[in-house]
Amino acid sequence: MADDVFDRQEFVAYFRDEAEELLQQIDADLLRLEEFVQSGNPEPEIINSLFRALHTIKGSAGMLGFTDAQSLAHKLENLCDLLRKDRMPLSEGSVDLLFAGRDFLTDLVESAVNDTPAPHGLTDYMGRLDQFAGIYEETSHVIEGTTGREFSADAVNEAGDVDQDQLAAFEAEVARLLEEAGGVPAAVAPATPAESVVAEPVAEAPVAPKKDAEKKDAPKRAAGQTIRVDIERLDTLLNLVGELVINRTRISDIAATMDRLMNDKSIEAPAALVAPLAKDLANSASMLARTSNEIQESIMKVRMVPIGQVFDRFPRLVRDVAKARGKEVALEISGAETDLDKTIVDEVGEPLMHLLRNCVDHGIETPEERERRGKPRAGTIALNAYHEGNQIIIEVSDDGNGIDLERVRKRGIAQGLVGPDDKLTDRELVELIFTPGFSTAETVSDVSGRGVGMDVVKKNITRLKGLFDVDSTPGAGTKFTIKLPLTLAIIQALLVRVVDELYAIPLDSVIESQRVEMTDVRTVHGNEVITLRGQVVPLLRVADFFELGGERDPEKVMIVIVGLQGRQVGLVVDGFQGEQEIVIKPLSVVVGRIPGISGATILGNGSISLIIDVHSLVSEAYASGNVARAEFSGV
Amino acid sequence: MNGTNEKNTGNQLSGEVVKVVSFGLGSEEYGVDIGQVQEIIRMVEITHVPRAPRFMEGVINLRGQLVPIIDLRTRFGMQRLEATKSTRIVVTEIGSKRVGMVVDNVSEVLNIPIENVEDAPEMIAGVGTEYIQGVGKVGDRLIIMLDLTMVISAEDKRDLETLDPQLAATT
Repeated sequence: MADDVFDRQEFVAYFRDEAEELLQQIDADLLRLEEFVQSGNPEPEIINSLFRALHTIKGSAGMLGFTDAQSLAHKLENLCDLLRKDRMPLSEGSVDLLFAGRDFLTDLVESAVNDTPAPHGLTDYMGRLDQFAGIYEETSHVIEGTTGREFSADAVNEAGDVDQDQLAAFEAEVARLLEEAGGVPAAVAPATPAESVVAEPVAEAPVAPKKDAEKKDAPKRAAGQTIRVDIERLDTLLNLVGELVINRTRISDIAATMDRLMNDKSIEAPAALVAPLAKDLANSASMLARTSNEIQESIMKVRMVPIGQVFDRFPRLVRDVAKARGKEVALEISGAETDLDKTIVDEVGEPLMHLLRNCVDHGIETPEERERRGKPRAGTIALNAYHEGNQIIIEVSDDGNGIDLERVRKRGIAQGLVGPDDKLTDRELVELIFTPGFSTAETVSDVSGRGVGMDVVKKNITRLKGLFDVDSTPGAGTKFTIKLPLTLAIIQALLVRVVDELYAIPLDSVIESQRVEMTDVRTVHGNEVITLRGQVVPLLRVADFFELGGERDPEKVMIVIVGLQGRQVGLVVDGFQGEQEIVIKPLSVVVGRIPGISGATILGNGSISLIIDVHSLVSEAYASGNVARAEFSGV
Repeated sequence: MNGTNEKNTGNQLSGEVVKVVSFGLGSEEYGVDIGQVQEIIRMVEITHVPRAPRFMEGVINLRGQLVPIIDLRTRFGMQRLEATKSTRIVVTEIGSKRVGMVVDNVSEVLNIPIENVEDAPEMIAGVGTEYIQGVGKVGDRLIIMLDLTMVISAEDKRDLETLDPQLAATT
C-alpha cells in the first residue's frame, strides 16, 4: 500500500510537470495559429502539434483517472480535427474557443492534481464543444458518404456532387455556434459567478475515482518544488564529488603514515620524515579548497533555470490584454535562455507581468492613433534579458507614447501627491508613478489603472535585491530596466566588527564606509549626526541597538553609510574587516524573528557571522527613537 | 526506523520501556526521549544572537548547519555557570526543529520501565511543571523527563514578558 501511494504521487507530480509544459506549447501553437486567421490557411504542422499535445494530456490524464481533463482534452482534439479537415473555419471565434479550452484544461489539471473542485463554467463550455461534435457527426457521413473517401480540404473543392445545401447549413450552424462561443472571450477567466450555478450537474464527473487517504497527501507532495537539471551539470558535480573522495583517501593515508612514524620508537628524527608529509597535506588542502569551490559553483548552476520559463507565458498575456484594449501589439522576446536562480525566476514573473500590462495599456497607442503619428499600426514591445557581470538585466521597452510627464504632474496634483506650485524635475515626476495608489488612467480598466501596479513592481524588485529604472522619451516609447542579482543565496557583504563579534552588512545597501573624528559628530535632540557633503546623516550605534555593551572610542567613530529608500543612515561599528562573498543561511525558526538580523553565514574559519538586515534595523531604530529624525527636524 | 520512537508517537510515555538520555543540571537528573536526541557534542564556541529571547544562548556551526542553542540553566531560572570539561550540548530534533541544549554533563542512556514513570508532580526544584512530562524512577534516582516542545517554545509568555518586553511585542 505504502509503495502504491508513493508511486501514484510521483506520477501525479510528473503529470503536472508534463501538462504544464504541454499547455505552454498549446498556448504557443494557438498564438501561431491566430496569425493565420486572415489567410484562413494555417500551416498543417501547427494543428498537428496542437493535436499531439492534447493527445498526450488526454492519455496521461486518463491513466491517472482524471476523467474531466481527459474528456476535455478529447473534445478539444475533436475541435482541432474539425479545423484540420477544414470543417470549421479558422476565425477569431474558433481560436478564442480553443484558447478558452486551453484555460479550462489548465484549471482542470490544477484541480485534478490538488484534488480541488472543477472550475466553474466547465459544464457550460463542454456543452458547447459537444454541439460542435454533434454537427461533426451529422455532417461527416453526408460528406464522406458522397465522396466515398476521407474528407479533406482538397476534396471539398473537387466534390461537386456534395449536397451543397447540407454543407451550407453546416457552415451556417458552425458560424452561429462560434458567434455564441464568442461570449466566452479567452481573456476573461473561465469562472464567472453566474455560471457557478450550473457548475454541478450531469457532465460533472468526479475529479478522480478514488477518494481515500492517499489523495489527501497528494497535493502536499505535488506542491513541492522541482527543478529540471541538465544531466551534464549533474555529471560535473559527480566528478567533483569523485575528486573529494580521492582526496579523503589521500588525507587518511597521510594521517596513518604520520601516526606510524610518530609511534615508531626506532626512528630517531621523526620530524625530518614528517616534513614531506606536511607538504602532501598542504597539497591536499589546496585541492580540497579548489574542489569545494567548484562544487559550490556547480550546485549554484544546478539551481539556475532559463528565464524563458517565465517569458513563455507572456505572448499569451500580451495578446489577451491587447485584444481586450483594442490594440495591436507584437511581443519580441530575446535572451530567453539567460540563466537565473530558480527562486528569482519564480518571483520575477509577477512584476514583469505588471510591466507588460502597463506597456500595452498605457504605453502602446490605439492603431488609429499610431497611424496618425506615422507609426506602424501594431506597436512593438521588446522583452530582453542578458547577463552583465554578476547580474542579470531584463529590459522591457515599447515604442508607444512614452510617459506623459505633464499628465503625471496633473494626476499627482489631483491625487494630492504634489502641490500645484511644486517644481519637480523630470526625474522626480517619473518617480511619482512608483507612489502607491498612483495611476494615470482616467478610468479603471480591467487590465490596469486600479492603482496597483508600478509601486508593486518596484517593491517586488527591491525585495529581490534588484534595481529598477525607467527611461522614457515622450512620443517614442518607454524602457524599463530591471537589474537582478543572479542568486539570492550568495551575496557580497562588508564584514564589520561590533564589540567582539563579526557582522555582515549586505553590500548592496552600503554606500561608503569611513572614519570620522568625534569632533565632527554633533547631536540633534540627543541623537548623534554627522554632516556628509552638506547632507545631515543620523548615526546609529549598532552596539547600542543590539545591547552588546562595549566601550566607545572617545576620539573617532567608524561609520558604514547605508542607503535606504533615498535616506542615509550611518551605522557606527568598531572595525572594518573587508568585503567577502557570503552564503546566506536563515536563522532557525526556534530563534524567531530578530529585528535587525536577517540570517547568518559561516565564515572561512568556521565561525558564524550574523547578517544585518539594514531595512529592519533602521526602521526599528527610528521607531524606538534611537536615531535622530534629522531630515524632518529641519537641521 | 527506531521502534521505540514509532511506538511512542503521540504519547512518549506509552509502551513498555522508555529509553532516555539522562543528563545533569545542578543537583537534578533530567532525561529526554532518545528518539529526539540527534547527537551529543562537546562545548563549542557559541555565537551570541542579540535581542533573541534570553534563554537562547546563540547559534553554533554544526557541520555547516546553524543550530540554535538553549542554555537550560537560564531556561529553568537556575544560576548560569561557566562551561567546564564535562559541559555538553545535547542536539535534539523535534519535528523539523533542531535545537541544542547546554547541560552540565551527560551521564548515560537509561531504560525506564513504563510503570516506573509517574506524572509530573506539582513542583520540582524550581523548574516550572510545564516543561515536565513525568518523573522516572531508576533505583533511588529520580529522572525528570522533559517535554522538549515546551522547552523550545518561544511562546512562553511569562518568560518573554518578564525578560524582554520589546521582544515579546515583536514575536
